[in-house]
Amino acid sequence: MQYYLGVDIGSVSSNFVLMSENMQIHRKVYLRTQGNPVKAIKEGYEALKSSLNIIGDSIKAVGSTGSGRHLAAVLMGADVVKNEITAHAVAASSFYPEARTILEIGGQDSKIIILRNGIVNDFAMNTVCAAGTGSFLDQQAARLNIAIEQFGDLALKSRQPVRIAGRCGVFAESDMVHKQQMGYPVEDIIMGLCEALVRNYLNNVASGKKIEDIIIFQGGVAANAGLRKAFEKVLKLPIHVPENFEVMGAIGAAILAMEKMNNAEKETCFKGDSFILEGDFKTSSMECKGCPNQCEVVCIKRNEKALAFWGDRCKKWEATIKAYPEEDRQLSV
Amino acid sequence: MKIVGIPRGLFYFYYYPLWKSFFVNLGAQVVTSAETNRLTVERGIEAMVDESCFPIKVYFGHIRELCKNQIDYLFIPRIVSVEQRSYICPKFMGIPDMVKARIPNLPAVIDTIIDFSKDKKLMQKEIIRTGKIFTEKTSRINDAYKAAYQELQFCKALAAQGYTMAEAIHIWEGKSPPCPSAVAELRVGILGHGYSLYDERVSMNIINHLRLMGCKVILPESLDKETIENQAATLPKRVFWTLGRKMVGSALHMAQREDIDGIIYVACFGCGPDSLIGEIIERKVKNKPFMLITVDEHTGEAGLLTRLEAFCDMLKRRRKETFANHLPTYG
Repeated sequence: MQYYLGVDIGSVSSNFVLMSENMQIHRKVYLRTQGNPVKAIKEGYEALKSSLNIIGDSIKAVGSTGSGRHLAAVLMGADVVKNEITAHAVAASSFYPEARTILEIGGQDSKIIILRNGIVNDFAMNTVCAAGTGSFLDQQAARLNIAIEQFGDLALKSRQPVRIAGRCGVFAESDMVHKQQMGYPVEDIIMGLCEALVRNYLNNVASGKKIEDIIIFQGGVAANAGLRKAFEKVLKLPIHVPENFEVMGAIGAAILAMEKMNNAEKETCFKGDSFILEGDFKTSSMECKGCPNQCEVVCIKRNEKALAFWGDRCKKWEATIKAYPEEDRQLSV
Repeated sequence: MKIVGIPRGLFYFYYYPLWKSFFVNLGAQVVTSAETNRLTVERGIEAMVDESCFPIKVYFGHIRELCKNQIDYLFIPRIVSVEQRSYICPKFMGIPDMVKARIPNLPAVIDTIIDFSKDKKLMQKEIIRTGKIFTEKTSRINDAYKAAYQELQFCKALAAQGYTMAEAIHIWEGKSPPCPSAVAELRVGILGHGYSLYDERVSMNIINHLRLMGCKVILPESLDKETIENQAATLPKRVFWTLGRKMVGSALHMAQREDIDGIIYVACFGCGPDSLIGEIIERKVKNKPFMLITVDEHTGEAGLLTRLEAFCDMLKRRRKETFANHLPTYG
């Protein structure tokens, strides 16, 4: 069996899928990035591998997405490196060709994608504020001592949601603390929070966008049934949550990789088991003194050998990797 | 020879050739600060109150850099208005005072008042007042200004060809022009205040990022001024900010142009006029993809690149689709 590997390295979660040619998801892995994408990539790949005998040879192409997509591409070898908006749109429109709106709420960003005839017609992302995204929900769940997995179901038990200010995470939290000290039941408070987040999302991210049926809700936060219900209440339209809602970015990346490999007769860039699992990956950073910009340059090394540089505005470090043969890739700083 | 320092910030990007030539024509030497870099930003943030917008902070950084040099004068114009019945952000009006209040041990400040809001008489007086610092001869001052004005026109003509004002200034100073990008797959209109857009640090190098992604960028300076004014005049109320009106007019014009695939507006976080103008443009531009990018002092480019990449992807796919829809069905 041949598979396409999709990797989505986000700020909060890292997701991996193995997809077959007929777009069946053979296996998916959802991990917390926990501030260490290198570790997450290794662990995620290991978890995938446990489901197959020889994984290396059965991978036909790799696609990476998410804010850590370039890192994933260096560590695993990727045929397609794509931004998460395109990846999410591709995944949603592959499973729901009639979809017209995608609501996507992830760990630190939220976006709305408007599709017409299966292609992205418009999109918007949160600008300067992460209120109402997954990490805020995480933080509130931890504060109330509720497991994040139960957050949504508990919210559904609410009969009279309280009004929480949703514009800003700081105000929302102070509202929640106040209501909690007044003695409101916790389920009413968290359902109130869900409704506040939906209002915030619709007023900011989705402002001015025409939300039309069919609406797909995806991203890690789509697991939250409370938010789903709040969206339906406000939009008065049914909300569809795909089966693999939490790994849609990775699925999109896998689909894009499949499309690319089908169009081009070439070998995959995938680096294989031993490269990923046996390598000792380290990252280091230094301040380049080449000019007053003093860029913070990051170097990714495998067994002390530099694989990639980035962070330099002038690209003189980044270019060194392409400019020299592999044996010269020693970082001499 | 007297040395005049001109900070490389704010309206430097619109008027530097004029200012520099004026002082040089009067026998002065002109020095400017380095292109905005991390040190500029750090110095600026230290010196300026937190509430101000990022370009003002950067300007303070440039002034502090210049103060380290041996200069006799620091040119910090008090810009009120550059055309009739229109104004610039009020912060520009107060900037010489803000600088004097926040930065100690300044060299002598030349705070020429630039105010065309009513007529040109006041400006005429200010040109003479400024010139008198260097010479007593009124005729020499007037000649210096006239010649300097020609230099500015030269740069504007370069910008009309599609160079950014920063590039136009480079070329004017005798440096080699940037290589034109190879094949441009897309044409994207970019709007924003010149001092954020053309400062590569403030705008996070958005123009070059787009060029590398295969876009030809269309800037407001390359558009015909009258067309911009006519388009801006379609709004129910006249926008009295010079730059704001230019942005609205450019956006409305770009929205109508079939050869432009999408429009990006670069706004500064904390800019009052931007918050309104961005909103107006977003509501008015309906038939074309529009994206608002908010910049501030952060250096993390990931968020910017994701948005730009996704925007370009969308434009490419839309273009493909439009093309496919127009294929004749009769074979």
